[in-house]
Amino acid sequence: MLCEECRKHNAVVFLKLAVNNKVSELHLCPACAAKKGMGFGPETGAFNISDIVGNMSGYFKDFLPQERKTLRCRGCGLKYSEFKETGRLGCPDCYVSFEPQLNELMTRIHGSAQHQGRAYAGGPALKLSKAETARRLEELRSALKDAVAREDFEAAARLRDALKGLEGRHG
Amino acid sequence: MAEMVKSFRPYVTWANARGAWPDMIFSTRVRFARNLQGFPFSNRAEPRQLAEIRRLALAAARETGLFPRGHFLKLETLSQLDKRFLVERHHVSHLLAAAVLPAGAAVSNDEDLSVMVNEEDHLRLQCLAAGFAIEEAFASALKLEGLLGRALPFAYGPRFGFLTACPTNTGTGMRVSCLAHLPALSRLGRMPQVLENLSHLGVTARGIYGEGTFVLGDFYQISNATCLGRSEEDFCQNIDRVIRNLIRQEIAARETLLKGPLKLKTEDAVFRALGLLRHARTLSYEEFMQNISLARMGAAMGWNMGLDFSTFNQVTLLMQPGHIQAAAGRELNPAERDAFRAEFLRKKLC
Repeated sequence: MLCEECRKHNAVVFLKLAVNNKVSELHLCPACAAKKGMGFGPETGAFNISDIVGNMSGYFKDFLPQERKTLRCRGCGLKYSEFKETGRLGCPDCYVSFEPQLNELMTRIHGSAQHQGRAYAGGPALKLSKAETARRLEELRSALKDAVAREDFEAAARLRDALKGLEGRHG
Repeated sequence: MAEMVKSFRPYVTWANARGAWPDMIFSTRVRFARNLQGFPFSNRAEPRQLAEIRRLALAAARETGLFPRGHFLKLETLSQLDKRFLVERHHVSHLLAAAVLPAGAAVSNDEDLSVMVNEEDHLRLQCLAAGFAIEEAFASALKLEGLLGRALPFAYGPRFGFLTACPTNTGTGMRVSCLAHLPALSRLGRMPQVLENLSHLGVTARGIYGEGTFVLGDFYQISNATCLGRSEEDFCQNIDRVIRNLIRQEIAARETLLKGPLKLKTEDAVFRALGLLRHARTLSYEEFMQNISLARMGAAMGWNMGLDFSTFNQVTLLMQPGHIQAAAGRELNPAERDAFRAEFLRKKLC
């Protein structure tokens, strides 16, 4: 049997994979197997999934609705277009910023967009290290300054509250 | 490397044969994906944030009291071989083993509980249990989740539930899976159809080490494909039903393999496999898995393979490439590994 990749050499590496509930078999010559980073194949147990089924993120691209280019997460700044590309969200706030789009996607993936599992009452405030607290205070102060300069008083009020909360917790 | 590996037990309790179908269900796993409120997800976090998350997570794991004499590991300080060992014990994923940024893991002393830190999600906590034990694994994982959730603020919203980096895990963040050994279905060429049917039941099948890994020795990880819109118990019950159904199919397939002219063929294949395992002088991991799969099926069919299922399971763990090198106490190239494996196995089988 010839290698499925180069179609020149004899296939000696036989790989069996279960991807998306399909068993697929791959027959490769040693050189092509090594090229795919699978020199050891089953020895390492891992393979590069995108080599075999194509990039999984196509899935998100197809199912996420089109949006205006400027849509971003207000928490971490992740662009909606980046999320569509990678299929990975950037922070918990992304779920608020992209809620309408996610509703559609969740229904596609899970058949539902409403959590029915255990509720969570919330945990305690994080016991951050001094360095992390100082850094966050610094970030908030600088953002507050910017907001005041922009005369964005709504954002300034929000930042001031956050600042107070953080200072209150850590003195 | 030797130091970390030596601190682990040679055998793990979750690989003991137990439950109603010890020949078919190796182990059960329940995992929860959780993230901390107030940090970006791992893929967008900076190294110092990841270090902070790890500090918080490992401290919280310690405080649960569920990890006495446990292992608290910083992944980037470990050798490739250490990490390989952890992957083979199912405590660490390939993704985490490859991480160059601050990542960690907490593993309980008898290795039934573990927490991966800074994988795709900040926390991936799991319980592994021997045999077919969904209820037990679920209860233990939930206990760990509950204690961690009281020590750390998890990212959660009433609409989408627990928030994860990938939308496929959002909701309960729970995956319940059984490692199933399905040699007869594979031998009869029925697996493609079986897997096709699974996809209509909200269930997915993966290779032996989870997502993106090979099918070796006819072992499949069967798990729920969705996480949102149903209760945790519902997801567990669905997997339970699917596994029972798979077991019935595998039993029927084994009966077929023992009927008429197929019987001699099956018996021949099984004993040839046993002969190879007992007498080979060099044995790759893949070849070992193919043959142990047949021997294991032979034992289930009532032929004397000289091993009980617990020994089958432990040997299956010990023959993995990382474990072979751990037993040798040094790194081995593939050819050395295959020779060492054959010799090591002969000692175990005689």
